[in-house]
Amino acid sequence: MNFKDQAEQFFKSGHTNNWAVLVCTSRFWFNYRHVANTLSVYRSVKRLGIPDSHIVLMLADDMACNPRNPKPATVFSHKNMELNVYGDDVEVDYRSYEVTVENFLRVLTGRIPPGTPRSKRLLSDDRSNILIYMTGHGGNGFLKFQDSEEITNVELADAFEQMWQKRRYNELLFIIDTCQGASMYERFYSPNIMALASSQVGEDSLSHQPDLGIGVHLMDRYTFYVLEFLEEIHPASQTNMNDLFQVCPKSLCVSTPGHRTDLFQRDPQNVLITDFFGSVRKVEITAETISLDPNLAAFESKPPKDELAAEPLKYAEQLPVAQIIHQKPKQKDWHPPGGFILGLWALIIMVFFKTYGIKHMKHIF
Amino acid sequence: MAAPLVLVILVAVTVRAVLYRSSLAAFISERVEVASPLNAWKRVVEGLALLDLGVSPYSGAIFHETPLIIYLFHFLIEYAELVFMITDVLTAIALYLAIQDFNKVVFKKQKLLIELDKYAPDVAELIRTPMEMHYIPLKVALFYLLNPYTVMSCVAKSTCTINNTVIAFFILATIKGSAFLSAVFLALATYQSLYPLTLFAPALLYLLQRQFIPVKLKSKSFWLYTMQYAALYLCSLVVIICLSFFLLNSWDFIPSVYGFILSVPDLTPNIGLFWYFFAEMFEHFSLFFVCVFQINVFFYTIPLAVKLKEHPVFFMFVQIAIISIFKSYPTVGDIALYMAFLPVWSHLYRFLRNIFILSCVLIVCSLLFPVLWHLWIYAGSANSNFYYAITLTFNIGQILLISDYFYAFLRREYYLTHGLYLTRQDGTEAMLVLK
Repeated sequence: MNFKDQAEQFFKSGHTNNWAVLVCTSRFWFNYRHVANTLSVYRSVKRLGIPDSHIVLMLADDMACNPRNPKPATVFSHKNMELNVYGDDVEVDYRSYEVTVENFLRVLTGRIPPGTPRSKRLLSDDRSNILIYMTGHGGNGFLKFQDSEEITNVELADAFEQMWQKRRYNELLFIIDTCQGASMYERFYSPNIMALASSQVGEDSLSHQPDLGIGVHLMDRYTFYVLEFLEEIHPASQTNMNDLFQVCPKSLCVSTPGHRTDLFQRDPQNVLITDFFGSVRKVEITAETISLDPNLAAFESKPPKDELAAEPLKYAEQLPVAQIIHQKPKQKDWHPPGGFILGLWALIIMVFFKTYGIKHMKHIF
Repeated sequence: MAAPLVLVILVAVTVRAVLYRSSLAAFISERVEVASPLNAWKRVVEGLALLDLGVSPYSGAIFHETPLIIYLFHFLIEYAELVFMITDVLTAIALYLAIQDFNKVVFKKQKLLIELDKYAPDVAELIRTPMEMHYIPLKVALFYLLNPYTVMSCVAKSTCTINNTVIAFFILATIKGSAFLSAVFLALATYQSLYPLTLFAPALLYLLQRQFIPVKLKSKSFWLYTMQYAALYLCSLVVIICLSFFLLNSWDFIPSVYGFILSVPDLTPNIGLFWYFFAEMFEHFSLFFVCVFQINVFFYTIPLAVKLKEHPVFFMFVQIAIISIFKSYPTVGDIALYMAFLPVWSHLYRFLRNIFILSCVLIVCSLLFPVLWHLWIYAGSANSNFYYAITLTFNIGQILLISDYFYAFLRREYYLTHGLYLTRQDGTEAMLVLK
């Protein structure tokens, strides 16, 4: 293969950096599993190469140092305490009460107050692939944050649209592990988003196994099987998204995981897991020099971004407002049915004539 | 007599108009004593708004008015204030005409009894003269229109005023002697709030008296007339209910209106007796006590009918009072209706024993209602017991008022037939007691 082809290969995937935003929205000890979920994904993502500087980890409660934790400073994700996902090198960016809907949306859209430290910012650009993982308690169309507020699927979709319009991502993978998780990705309308959820609307996501030593459920099923799947992945894996879609079939998960790829430009077959979960830098060592010509075929083969750059101009289509805002049908005024009015007045006239006699009829007619 | 009545009406309408335009209107509409879940104006507006949005107003527990009210206000909602003022005026006119006729009847009956020598010789001072009875209808209209309770009810736009109008027309129709109209209005009143059902008995008694049919259980004409009147009443009620079905094409209004009145699910404090009991009651017993309380309203009809069969209009007055005290969601508008009748029995004044205390109780309690409400709800330094105490006292005052009038009425009747100066067997002065 000549180096030009290899150079073409180099630009194939379209992203140059990876970010991850991992959010656990539940507090309280019995929601241990949500923190364990998030930390498992954090562990995999770090293992596959994304550095802490590119991970925004939001944990709504501290399980490792929770007074009810019989094994302090640990968060286990396997029964029998096989795997401690909380080590010395866990860097939590938003902790405890800082995990709010507002902060989450500010992280995503970049509208952060000036004094915020870098570790709390999502400094992505238009060549970033972002993995967003959320877990907690949810319902049809919303996700609960901190037991006191909710983020709706419409808000999330609008946040992603803001990110798109500000060129804050190249491609986005959204994974959610909550009850009725599929409702959260129903409203997305921005391009290049792929979404996975642990359960369909109307289904609950179930937890995996309780640990009798710790006393709570350690993980949710979907994330447990995703973690098992991810443990097989190493930075050079060629496993693609279709395999991720097969993770946790209904027999293992009880709920039906769902995914959405209609907004994604590439075929999921061609999307590597490491495109989102790892930070894989393509390095090719060559002794030859290649002059990178702007008219290189790879560039001219229209990376998806340019094609879609035309889309923001078509605002009218991009925002299906009527669909999103559930426009009410035009209000028709209620009128009493004609039969009723007729009947009522007929009765009144009958009563009138009965009491005052028919002789008045001739005065009226 | 038309001119003073017109003057009274004008004054009343002015007072109401002034209050509508002042800031008190909003304050009064919020008061729980004036607006109950059954007849609050806010709920009527809410129900009509729901209807405009395409939802049945009876879904949910907010709207408890009958479909005829929906129909009435659908077209008249912009003129709501005018409607309420007109209904008040109509009530006053109806009461005026009714009492005028009633006075004639009373006077005729009195003349008859005097000529038949039914009265004892020394009761001259108890006989009523046309002179003193001349101003009674005007006083009735005055009492109704300028009663602060009525004014508040009208300003709050509570549909209690409409209920009062229907009952007033029913009384007018009964006293004029038209069985058909009286049945129709009674059916309307029952249709709107269930309790006027008990007014069937006094109306029947009055009509029988008018037709000179004696009330004997064995008499065939009595049963015939009763059946006729009952049939008229029931048929009109059925017709009105079926007609209401066609408004919204559903029977939803029956549990919402009648189910609500009978089962008392809403325990917002009001001037009645139900809310406090049921707020504290265990679920287990609530059905039993609801039945007991509701039976209490209907229970007095038969004994009163037995005792007061010669005096059906007084019976009607007592019955209306009992309804307004013991109904599930009373408001001051209901009280205003029976208080309007008090001038008719003004000749009983000399026999009333506790009238001073009772009027003080009633006035003080009415003034204390907003005070204790404020202390309970806003200041937080009182609790529901305080408000309930005032409610209890107010109701006790009303009950004593009614029983006082009852006693006075019966005492006067007794004196009329037995003479004014009663002596016991040993010659000392005797005292009549109500057993």
